[in-house]
Amino acid sequence: MSFVTWPYPFFLATVAAMYWALPLKGRWWLLLVSSYGFYAAWDPRFLALLLSSTAIDYFCGRGIVDERRPWRHVIAATALPALWLGTCRLVNVAAPGFPGLPQVDPRLIGVAALLPAVFLPAYALLWRWSPLRRRKGFVAFSVISNLAVLGFFKYFNFFSDSLRQLLHALGASAHWDLPTIVLPVAISFYTFQSISYAVDIARGQGQPARQFVLFAAYLAFFPQLIAGPIERVGRFLPQFETARAWSRDHLHQGLALLLTGLFKKVFVADNCALLTNHVFDPKTPLDAPWALLGAVAFAFQIYGDFSGYTDLARGSARLLGIELSSNFRFPYSARGPSDFWQRWHRTLSTWFRDYLYIPLGGNRRSLPRQLANLWIVMLLAGLWHGANWNFLLWGGYHAALLTLYRVVPPLGRLERATSVAGGWLATASMFAFTLFGWVLFRCANLEQLGHWFGAWTRGGAVGDATAMKPALWLALHVAPLLLLQWATRRDQDERANAHWPWPARGLAYAALVLALVASSSQDQEFLYFQF
Amino acid sequence: MIASPPWATRAFLLAAALLLAAEIVARLGFASSVDGRFDYGYHPTAGFQETPDGRVHLIRSGGRRFFPQSYSIQRPTGTFRILVLGDSVPRGVSVDLAYGGQLAALLRARGTPAEVWNLCVPGYGARRVQTVLRQALHYSPSLVILHLNNSNEFEDERELRRSQEFAGWHPKNWLMKSFLFRRLYEAKTEQVAWKLLPESIRARQGVNDADAEIAASMNASLARQWEERVRSETRKSVGLCDERGVPILLVTQATWSTQSGARRIQDAGLAELAQSLTNRHIAWVSMLETLREGDLPSLFADASHLKPPGHSLMAKALLRTLDATALLETRSGRQDTGRSLTR
Repeated sequence: MSFVTWPYPFFLATVAAMYWALPLKGRWWLLLVSSYGFYAAWDPRFLALLLSSTAIDYFCGRGIVDERRPWRHVIAATALPALWLGTCRLVNVAAPGFPGLPQVDPRLIGVAALLPAVFLPAYALLWRWSPLRRRKGFVAFSVISNLAVLGFFKYFNFFSDSLRQLLHALGASAHWDLPTIVLPVAISFYTFQSISYAVDIARGQGQPARQFVLFAAYLAFFPQLIAGPIERVGRFLPQFETARAWSRDHLHQGLALLLTGLFKKVFVADNCALLTNHVFDPKTPLDAPWALLGAVAFAFQIYGDFSGYTDLARGSARLLGIELSSNFRFPYSARGPSDFWQRWHRTLSTWFRDYLYIPLGGNRRSLPRQLANLWIVMLLAGLWHGANWNFLLWGGYHAALLTLYRVVPPLGRLERATSVAGGWLATASMFAFTLFGWVLFRCANLEQLGHWFGAWTRGGAVGDATAMKPALWLALHVAPLLLLQWATRRDQDERANAHWPWPARGLAYAALVLALVASSSQDQEFLYFQF
Repeated sequence: MIASPPWATRAFLLAAALLLAAEIVARLGFASSVDGRFDYGYHPTAGFQETPDGRVHLIRSGGRRFFPQSYSIQRPTGTFRILVLGDSVPRGVSVDLAYGGQLAALLRARGTPAEVWNLCVPGYGARRVQTVLRQALHYSPSLVILHLNNSNEFEDERELRRSQEFAGWHPKNWLMKSFLFRRLYEAKTEQVAWKLLPESIRARQGVNDADAEIAASMNASLARQWEERVRSETRKSVGLCDERGVPILLVTQATWSTQSGARRIQDAGLAELAQSLTNRHIAWVSMLETLREGDLPSLFADASHLKPPGHSLMAKALLRTLDATALLETRSGRQDTGRSLTR
């Protein structure tokens, strides 16, 4: 179920109405069941993976704070994935063609049954270690198991194909018949959130969930399950543990965010996508103005898409009284690459900063070591977005930008410019750099990249008649977004129009509704769902 | 200070009130212009916009993507009014370059006042063509040119399903039940997008179910049903014209391909039907017979669509047939214009 499909408003309204009517523990169960239902609407089989992560991290979290859980709990929780897949298989047999349930391969049940077989001995072993060693052991187990799941499901195809191609290029025989692994939706996000859970508890930055159902609801919370924001235990979990009272602010802020998010996705991103899909299709004849138009369109498509998703997630959570982190802060007004990464997908960039860059030495090391760390982090951040060379290239490109801004003094000074003109120049140059980065990100293969670059050699000029009208289309869809951002610039987290008088807000809401219904039929999936 | 209930805020109440007011205005002021948007071509009058000055404007509306044209509702005295109905083949790339437009130019060149309405819409099969015909017959045509093709039945069927779905209760259609939203949507998709985006981009927005169409066309029983539907609906269309005394010129579609280096043109299988329908008031022009001797690659843009030279050959063939059959000497043509079409 996606936020922009028709069932979602009904789903959200039902959950919200029930949520406020229930006591605290009832709310956990409601969130858990609704979140699992939300996730299962894509593919119920992958719930087994989410259950595995949940079981491992719950017991690791409790283990880190030295609390041993009874064996019957450990056995029951780790058996859940196999039980779930077994139930799905039974439904397959009893009711073939059951809507929304694909065939479950019986071998998958066997694989899921390995979880207790691996976890129970490891759990027993860890409790024999000294408390300090045990804590590290639980953190390591959580991190390794999450990375293993992520690595296998996200990168298996990529590495096996790359190895095959490499061997082929070297003239060696590379014929093997490996299965194609399907990428489970949301895996990149919830595995990162699970890792941060264990590490933050070990660092004393949060307390683990006491109840299994609470932790399961925390990890699977449907508004942010699919594409973040990636939350931290210290800020996020306490919101589940407290019984909040209904307030009209929840409704107001929630609806405002939902409306802004829909506007960004449906009006801005989906309409920019029309141009992007055209320009980045290798069959489309391109000239320079079209190539530029495509790059600008993609910049606003991906921003509208992802920040729109985040607003929808935050708005949905707000209706349930829960506040999610803001992921964006006017990223295209960044004055340099460091500034950009403090404004773009902030929960991911701070995740990489806190769990990779700083542990590697951060800014405390020599400049060459700092730069090496930066490259490691950015390449991995690129690869996190997808198992493809273009994402690695994009990560490398941003690492190069960060390096240049650190080692070339004029660029560093430009990023720190205090004059108005200097600020504009810095923002314009960073936007141009960002555009080029998005081209690398968008081109899935060398053919597309070559096609886009080739356009620049085919003449034409900006303002070319053929690209003029589509440029107007782009302006028509981007200008309202920029206007909205300008009007809300005082809000640090892009929360819409919090300072406006209510009549102005009312007019703005009506205008947003009209803008988005005019574009309502283009049914496009969120870009970040594929990551 | 205006108080608001605990389940709402003043800003949202204001937004709701504004939208409600706008909806009422839309229902009072724009009802006719949004009618048919979600009938997907099955609305009886969509695309025909009559204005108080006595004119009818052919517009892109309600799934009817007519080329923009404007005519007087009453046929001008002494003018032959010819209506061309069909799909993208007779529609051509513009009103003037399509065979209907070229026929009008030929007629006018020899001093015969004639207007030819291009009422063709891409993807229209026999049923939707007939819906257009029912409305078009209100404009006193002197002649109807009916282009017969049997490759659009899948789309007719799909669009019928969509229009029936829209008429149902499904929540996904609730937004567009609003006339205000429908008007905005129409303005955006049919006017702003049409003006600012090139055809190659607009085409990507269309329903992309080529695979389903191919699969359906491989289904022999379905193909037989469609074939039969084309025949029965065409007979009905001919009957409608006949009731009103409007002569008909049938045009049967042909396609061409290259097989083993040899160019081959073939009839779409409707020649027999057309032949069976011909009589004193109904004539028939075969694309196959008209184009078979020509240089096919220079006449066809693809397997079935014609380039302007192909349309030109067709227009000449239509004129020859009109001359030979004296279709317009009889019935509505002669009676209303008081002059002969032929030399």
